[in-house]
Amino acid sequence: FSSMFQSIAGKANLDKSDLEPALKALKDRLMTKNVAEEIAEKLCESVAASLEGKKLASFTRISSTVQAAMEEALVRILTPRRSIDILRDVHAAKEQRKPYVVVFVGVNGVGKSTNLAKVAYWLLQHKVSVTMAACDTFRSGAVEQLRTHARRLQIPIFEKGYEKDPAIVAKEAIQEATRNGSDVVLVDTAGRMQDNEPLMRALSKLIYLNNPDLVLFVGEALVGNDAVDQLSKFNQKLADLSTSPNPRLIDGILLTKFDTIDDKVGAALSMVYISGAPVMFVGCGQSYTDLKKLNVKSIVKTLLK
Amino acid sequence: MVLAQLGGSISRALQQMSNATVIDEKVLNECLNEITRALLQSDVQFKLVRDMQTNIKKIKGKTSVVMFVGLQGSGKTTTCTKYAYYHQKKGWKPALVCADTFRAGAFDQLKQNATKAKIPFYGSYMESDPVKIAVEGVETFKKENCDLIIVDTSGRHKQEAALFEEMRQVSEATKPDLVIFVMDSSIGQAAFDQAQAFKQSVSVGAVIVTKMDGHAKGGGALSAVAATKSPVIFIGTGEHMDEFEVFDVKPFVSRLLGMGDWSGFMDK
Ligand SMILES: Nc1nc2c(ncn2[C@@H]2O[C@H](COP(=O)(O)OP(=O)(O)OP(=O)(O)O)[C@@H](O)[C@H]2O)c(=O)[nH]1
Ligand SMILES: Nc1nc2c(ncn2[C@@H]2O[C@H](COP(=O)(O)OP(=O)(O)OP(=O)(O)O)[C@@H](O)[C@H]2O)c(=O)[nH]1
Ligand SMILES: [Mg+2]
Ligand SMILES: [Mg+2]
Repeated sequence: FSSMFQSIAGKANLDKSDLEPALKALKDRLMTKNVAEEIAEKLCESVAASLEGKKLASFTRISSTVQAAMEEALVRILTPRRSIDILRDVHAAKEQRKPYVVVFVGVNGVGKSTNLAKVAYWLLQHKVSVTMAACDTFRSGAVEQLRTHARRLQIPIFEKGYEKDPAIVAKEAIQEATRNGSDVVLVDTAGRMQDNEPLMRALSKLIYLNNPDLVLFVGEALVGNDAVDQLSKFNQKLADLSTSPNPRLIDGILLTKFDTIDDKVGAALSMVYISGAPVMFVGCGQSYTDLKKLNVKSIVKTLLK
Repeated sequence: MVLAQLGGSISRALQQMSNATVIDEKVLNECLNEITRALLQSDVQFKLVRDMQTNIKKIKGKTSVVMFVGLQGSGKTTTCTKYAYYHQKKGWKPALVCADTFRAGAFDQLKQNATKAKIPFYGSYMESDPVKIAVEGVETFKKENCDLIIVDTSGRHKQEAALFEEMRQVSEATKPDLVIFVMDSSIGQAAFDQAQAFKQSVSVGAVIVTKMDGHAKGGGALSAVAATKSPVIFIGTGEHMDEFEVFDVKPFVSRLLGMGDWSGFMDK
């Protein structure tokens, strides 16, 4: 019956073995919610470290102590350290008579082009004028896809067809937007695998050459353990393959397909944890209005449920 | 969670292997057999493609209709062309039908791919009913004596019932000989529920796992196999038409277990 006492009231100080069962259960729960294994492990380690040696408050269970510490950690991680206010920054750029440039990057099929169109719609709602730049010059139908959105939203699109250097197309698009007085340029890029060196080099060139105001990583909420690799390698390759001494990295995250995952919301945590970049938008459907802000509280609640 | 149930048997098999002093082909094969047995016990049908009935057989004078389904962006449209191109090289007369009237640029994408591969295609910029297009396309190509008619459909997910109903209707109207579920290798824990929902709406008979040129191990694909009780027949290994391989269990399992290539493993 000693174990019963241990779980109710404060014995001396908590040590690792006291915490282990509760932490193991918590790690498993996070993983079934689609948090990457590596991230769930690291989180549990840091929670253990924060509790070890502490006294257990009387009348609390170890599991609820661990849960509370985890909740605190999750809120801390998911709450953006640097907040980016796009609308404010757009107006600041406007005062300098420069268009505000956003580049959408990510692996294949995650929703870059569709969510670029949603962001365009959102900007239009805020009376911001937009030009789209069709810089996916590789994938079949990519230019027509963007053209369709531009037509529906009645905004200008800069395109040069296929097989052109996307870095140059982006440059010309920005020049054109400066001429026609657009407030924002949204640059679509081709999907690329994080390990594909030539494609990552081309992306880093596009970013170096055009120095955008915002590098937005688009990732899908469906992704499992690969989320960690995608974000860390995009950052690493953007740094390593850039010819600039101060290379640009991922500034923010757009998390897509949030409507397809029920309560398996863990990818949000994996992505933010590994990159330190904030989730700026959440895509939750296939129409223009399906763009939201991340609700940190509800994510944390779902993760711990 | 399929993988959790599998975990025990797989780690036992690996344990046995690491206990062996010398790792040679024999030990390796034993280990692989253990793992395959574990997978089979969990309804995961990992068999090699050659003993699979799901493989479309060429019957003289008969046309096979194959319908592609899957989540948004999983790689259906790209894989349709790869599948057509693969069979074309084997002497088939394939054709592509674009029954995706939803996604912007969907028809252009299929058209450009088909043109590159010199495969006849059917679709419309005006018609918005995918069922109508699918039926027209299949009829057209039957008349033209194509023996493999491939129907591409829109991406969809189980949370939107109307999308699943549409898929059911396309399937009912075209009566496909095979429905292929296309799945992205990077998918995480949502894989099982989504795959199962697809299986419950249409009779999925095979799985193709895409983007295997990425870094993901493809564990989610295991769940899909378990949920659909259908074998993996091909994998996609790149964006180009010929980056497409017949599925082979050995490299897949070794990658899943993070062991890299078997050959590389044996050198150690
Ligand atoms: N359910 C759902 N589907 C989405 C969402 N965002 C995008 N999609 C769908 O995902 C599919 C792929 O979207 P795209 O915008 O073409 O993706 P991409 O990243 O530009 O793809 P590539 O350029 O080929 O790499 C399309 O069918 C979109 O409609 C979302 O938030 N929810
Ligand atoms: N690297 C890599 N990319 C792939 C592979 N298969 C498909 N893709 C890419 O994944 C993206 C999405 O492919 P699509 O064929 O448009 O996917 P889909 O399922 O038809 O998408 P929706 O119709 O919008 O649901 C494109 O950028 C493809 O080029 C693959 O095996 N490897
Ligand atoms: Mg795109
Ligand atoms: Mg498609």
